[in-house]
Order: sequence, then structure tokens, then C-alpha cells
Amino acid sequence: MTMLATLPHARGNEGMAGRESVAVVGVGHTRYGKLPEYDAYELGLWALKEALTDSGLRFEEVDGLIVNRIPDYQRFCEIAGVNPSYVSITPGQGRFSGICIETAAALIRGGLATTVALVYGNNGRSGGDRYGGAGDTYGSGGGGQWSAYGMTSPGAFHALMARRHMELYGTSADQLGMVAKTFRDHAALNPAAVMRSPFTLADYHASRFICEPLHLLDYCLINDGGVALILTSGERARDLAQPPVYVRGCGMATSLAESSFPPDDFWREPMEKAATTSFHQAAIERADVSTLMIYDNFTPTVLFSLEGFGYCGVGESGPFVAEGHLALGARYPSNTSGGHLSESYMQGWALNLEAVRQVRGACGERQVEDCAFAHYMAAAPVVTSIIYGRDAS
Amino acid sequence: VRPLPNIDGANQPFWQALRQREVRVQRCKNCGAHRFPATRFCPHCRSEGSEWQAVAPTGVLETWCVFHRAYFEGLAVPYTVIQVRLDCGVRLFSNPVEVETDTLCIGMPVEAVFEDLTPDITLLKFKPRKERP
Repeated sequence: MTMLATLPHARGNEGMAGRESVAVVGVGHTRYGKLPEYDAYELGLWALKEALTDSGLRFEEVDGLIVNRIPDYQRFCEIAGVNPSYVSITPGQGRFSGICIETAAALIRGGLATTVALVYGNNGRSGGDRYGGAGDTYGSGGGGQWSAYGMTSPGAFHALMARRHMELYGTSADQLGMVAKTFRDHAALNPAAVMRSPFTLADYHASRFICEPLHLLDYCLINDGGVALILTSGERARDLAQPPVYVRGCGMATSLAESSFPPDDFWREPMEKAATTSFHQAAIERADVSTLMIYDNFTPTVLFSLEGFGYCGVGESGPFVAEGHLALGARYPSNTSGGHLSESYMQGWALNLEAVRQVRGACGERQVEDCAFAHYMAAAPVVTSIIYGRDAS
Repeated sequence: VRPLPNIDGANQPFWQALRQREVRVQRCKNCGAHRFPATRFCPHCRSEGSEWQAVAPTGVLETWCVFHRAYFEGLAVPYTVIQVRLDCGVRLFSNPVEVETDTLCIGMPVEAVFEDLTPDITLLKFKPRKERP
């Protein structure tokens, strides 16, 4: 079988100890903002068209499809006119962006599909989605038990965690404000971002409290929009329109038991587990990472993530962000798109899109220099960790 | 109208006990772990047998937040929500009474205060507990 070595396929098996490489080959997104004329299906399809154009692939070449936050997969396939071999649907929680991407990589490696489209459509702003109050379904929906005491909303859940972090480690409002301010500075360089006007820490303090200690500027931006990603094998990726961005490492871990209440450890244990798995797969160290994409539903989540994924010590995330390490030009430029706080709350999807574009070197004014590796991380009851790389191995 | 708890569902024994100035939660007959809100199976040992047992109305404050945005009609802002871990291990969200929010601290010992809301509904709130000498 000496001729095997000359087949292109053999080169696709380089990298993670014999694992086939998988790459993101197409990304697409809609405008973000108020788009009342589009429903979630249409926003998803708009994004998918963009992603396929980006990749140079045709609809017929997609044989795997996972939809997220789109209400019905069958309806989506009807309006898109597609018959994928593999299809699935996932709930509209932000933790599922990472889950979908990791699942797509596994589907491709496992042979269930060769080219997978991940399609996200969110009409939450025009649809009047409310995060809190009557009908609060955050997490397991267990929060509905506590409305008689006024407890509701994911924001309050994170405010409880932020207060605890402040009390335990001396984390300050200034430090939370620094996260919001830094990401807004990045959004100023991103034409797609919804909020692009820089603000000062004084502006941050002057913004009203929603659930103290969190101000308005600690909260993500609810908007309409869609994002799509196309993944395929490294072998196939080499012939397509864009430079492949390889999914070099994936990790996932959960903290779901008793998750109606904030976790004592700020999700540190599952984050450590997911980080270890993903760094091991990617065969790199944190020092090799060029940019971070941190799930920023609320500013304190960024602090918890920096600690849990090992970019700073336990309890040290406040001073770490205050030192400016997350800014463009600093050691770990983070959420260079502006993230959920300033670009738009696309529930992790747009952060993964930004990671891909950074590794491609296609981010223009906000490009991170020599971006070899981007690390997407999400701290939640389901933790995901994805390391994107420029090279297959 | 402020939000009211469902006192007739699986947690009915909890709400009835509050009327009697007792805190009653589910206890697994197999492993002895306490739990609330009610579930058919014990999340620790997955046994089905359980009983509602009165527990010490004391615990510690784990964290708190202050609502400035109003999510519910009938609940005036600002108001404070606290997270309490009862000595039996069960966690609850509640409101503090007889204390200023800016004097709260993590680990503060608290004890139950039974606040009658309607002729049928009593809420379980908490005040700082004076340590006995």
C-alpha cells in the first residue's frame, strides 16, 4: 500500500495523533439590529447564503445541517430547499453555539457528514423576547419558582455571581467597567457592530443599574440577526475559496446538577476540564494563543472565564483586565468584534465567526498581528472551549 | 398584582408548613439528603421514596443583588434578593428583612422570618441571626 502516501487524503490525517483535521471554510452573517421584516428562519437562511458564498460551496454540497434557535428544522429545510443527510436542531441558548461547532467536527470525523452547515437565526429583538419577568425560562426554568421574591433573569443570576466574586476577591466595579469599555473600543473598529461609540469609566458608572452590581453597560445587546458557519474535512478544505481555519482543539464539560443556583466555583471546574482537553488536542499552550473570544453575556462572565480557562490566577481576573491585557495591541486582545456587549448578542456565534476571521487575517483595522491561534470559550452550565488554528497541525 | 407562588403543586407541603411557622423540605428516605423544590426522584441517589421533614430555620447568606429594573408589577424597586443556604444544605432565593443591604456579607448567619402575604400564602424571608453566647 505504498501508493497511499501519495494520496491527498493521507495528508489530511496529519495533526492530532491521527485524527482527521476539520476546518471552518465559510462564515456568514446578516446585519445586526432591528430587522422586523425577517423571522428567525429567514435570518438563518440569509446568513447561510453568505457563508456558502464565502466558502465557494453550493447548497447541494452541504450534507449536514444543525439549526440553532430556529424553531423548526423541517420548516427551515423547506424554505432553504435542502435535503441534508444529517439534520439536527438545538435550543436557543448561547451555550449551544460551541456545542454545535464541536458536534459538527465530530460528525465530520465520524463520517456522518462531509460538509456541515451550522445555522443560527435570532429575531429576539423584534420578537419582543424578554429575559426576566413572568415566563422567565433561563437555564432549566427553575427560576420561575422564585418570582414571589422578585428573583428572575439571567442578568440577576450573574449579578449574584459578580457580588460574590467582589466579596471573595475584592473585584471592583471599575474592573467590570474596564471589560465593557475595552470591548466597546474594539466595536468602534467593526462596521457590523451595533454600538460603536466609545465611553469612559465615568460613563460606565453613570449608566443605570439594572441589577446591582451590574449596570446597563454590563449587559449584552439583544438584537435580531443570523450567523452561519460551514465546516468540512481538512482534505476538502484545501480546495475551497478561503484559507481553511482548522478546529484544532475542542473541549466541553458541564455543571448542570443544582444549576438553578449559581455555582460556588464560578464554573471553574468544568472550565479547567474543557480547557485541558482542548489544549491537549491542539497540542499548544496558552502562551501560543493570539486572541481570545470570550462569551460575554455579562461582563463578570469574562472575569470567570479568564480564571477558569487559566489565563490568570483564581481571584486575579479583576486586576488582570484592569491592566489592559484584553485590548487590541496588548497580550490577549479579546472580543475584537466588540462581542455580545457591543457588537450584538449573537449567542457565541458571532464570536466564533470573529475567531475565524482573525485567524484568516481578514479583520482589517482590528486585525491581531500574526494570529496563529484563536481561543473561543464559554462559561455557563455547559462549558465549551474551541481552539482555532491557521495550520492543520 | 405582585407575583404569587403556586402553593398547590408538588411543593404544597412546603407552603403549608410556612403557615405553621416551620420550614419543611423534602428528605430522601434512602440517603437522607434534603432537597427543594420537590422532585420525584432524589438527585443524589435517584431513590423515589421521600418525606417532608421540618428542618432548622437557619442558614448562611451566600450572595445578594439589588433589582433596580422592575420585572414584575406590584414589586417596587429597588429591592434586594438574597441567596441562602439552609443548614440542611438546601438553597433558596429570598429577601432580607430587618437589615440594610449595605451591611450584608457573605457567610452572614441568617434565620427565617415568616411573612404572611395573603390569608393562604406565607413567604420565607430571612434576617441576620444573633449568635447565641
